[in-house]
Amino acid sequence: MVWGTIIAAYLFLAGLSAGAFLTSSYAARKYPEAVTVRIAGRLISPVLMGIGLLLLIVDAEAGLKDPLRFIYLFTNFNSVMTIGTYFISLFMVAAAYIALMELLKKEIMKIAEYVGIVFAVATAIYTGFLIGVIGAVPLWNTAILPILFVVSAFSTGIAGTMLVSAIFDKKVVHHVMSLKKIHLTLLITEVFLIFTMFLITSSTNESAAKSVSMLLTGEYSTLFWLGLVAVGLVVPILIEALELFNSKKLHQSQAGLEVAAAGTQGIAATIITESAVLAGGFILRYLLLAAAVPIIFL
Amino acid sequence: MARYGMVIDTRKCVGCYACRVSCQMQNELPVEESYIKFYEKETGVFPNVKNEIIPVQCQHCEDAPCESVCPTKATYTTKDGIVLVDPDKCIGCKYCMVACHYGARTQDHLTGVVEKCRFCAELVAEGKQPACVSTCISSARIFGDLDDPNSEVSKAIVKLNAQPLRPDLGKAKIYYVR
Repeated sequence: MVWGTIIAAYLFLAGLSAGAFLTSSYAARKYPEAVTVRIAGRLISPVLMGIGLLLLIVDAEAGLKDPLRFIYLFTNFNSVMTIGTYFISLFMVAAAYIALMELLKKEIMKIAEYVGIVFAVATAIYTGFLIGVIGAVPLWNTAILPILFVVSAFSTGIAGTMLVSAIFDKKVVHHVMSLKKIHLTLLITEVFLIFTMFLITSSTNESAAKSVSMLLTGEYSTLFWLGLVAVGLVVPILIEALELFNSKKLHQSQAGLEVAAAGTQGIAATIITESAVLAGGFILRYLLLAAAVPIIFL
Repeated sequence: MARYGMVIDTRKCVGCYACRVSCQMQNELPVEESYIKFYEKETGVFPNVKNEIIPVQCQHCEDAPCESVCPTKATYTTKDGIVLVDPDKCIGCKYCMVACHYGARTQDHLTGVVEKCRFCAELVAEGKQPACVSTCISSARIFGDLDDPNSEVSKAIVKLNAQPLRPDLGKAKIYYVR
């Protein structure tokens, strides 16, 4: 593994951060009263991206020993990494500014949020393109991978935001039902995308087939089926679906809302679901990096 | 301006690793790091089988993926077609390592800089041969200017019908006789 756990964590955090930013922007418009969700998303976004960037710096050993070299990252426009550096820089500036204004309880410039939204999406896409353009690794070199990463970024972003929100405000998660619906849709889409990618790519060549069999039946199969499929996808899909099903009955009145928040599936379900989604998001990226079988050149 | 390339005749290679050792000496590498890797490949069906020993190093691709992905432009191609790494610009992100089709790059364990075969650019500039070529005990390696039709390497490519490892993967400048 040339790129290992640290890079997997970075790809995960970048997606999560972008997703959290978008979640907060969505919540700010759709649910102006769900202040906790908005603030949670806006605060965790730059912090998580910052942690991701620190991990990246630690992994780039030669740069770590001579930090001024990181300036050169802005120079090669043929490299997806350079393009990504611009995206992340602009996203970081917007996200950090908005978080700061939120902390200072000041008015946020509209343009900053628009810039943030555009570059959050760009950052999420970039994490997929970064490895998607690598022709040497057929498992990554598919058009569907960047889409999978974007869907996963939004899904983990919602999960991260909801998890933090639930800790500070038990009731709020039961207010933002359309977010839950979007989340459920994203999770189901993810299952579809993963299996589409695996089935199609494994028929393209030997290396891709080897990668896929490493994941489905080989050395990473336990992590794949238990960690990604069961914990990261199936459990959250079931809980979210159940919650949405029940919410129809409970959410008719304020009293019902109280019941939902206080009941056994109040915050516990949210915490379990969202943590599971976050674990799945990291495992997905880790597995794709770990199962990277290069092309055969002999 | 030349366009340097190499022929490696795997039929002559005995797998003695002398090229690798001389490369390590030339580049002052520790034993566990090397720019030349050895692969073995079995072909055919029993009883008609063949076992090849294939030394692989940077292929100095003309459309090098390592160069296009390098975010800091640390990897560059000289006017003589040699792909080099500027150790003062490399941040060690390892993007080139994942992008290289031939797994030809290694990371220096001390500096974190990613390096690879440099066709011994400093020796070539003095008109000498790369260390792996001058060391090879069976003359399996020929180095020279691919743009000069009279060079030993160009003649050998034609005569021996030498081909890059995977011509479909890009414009590599090491030709193999297999």
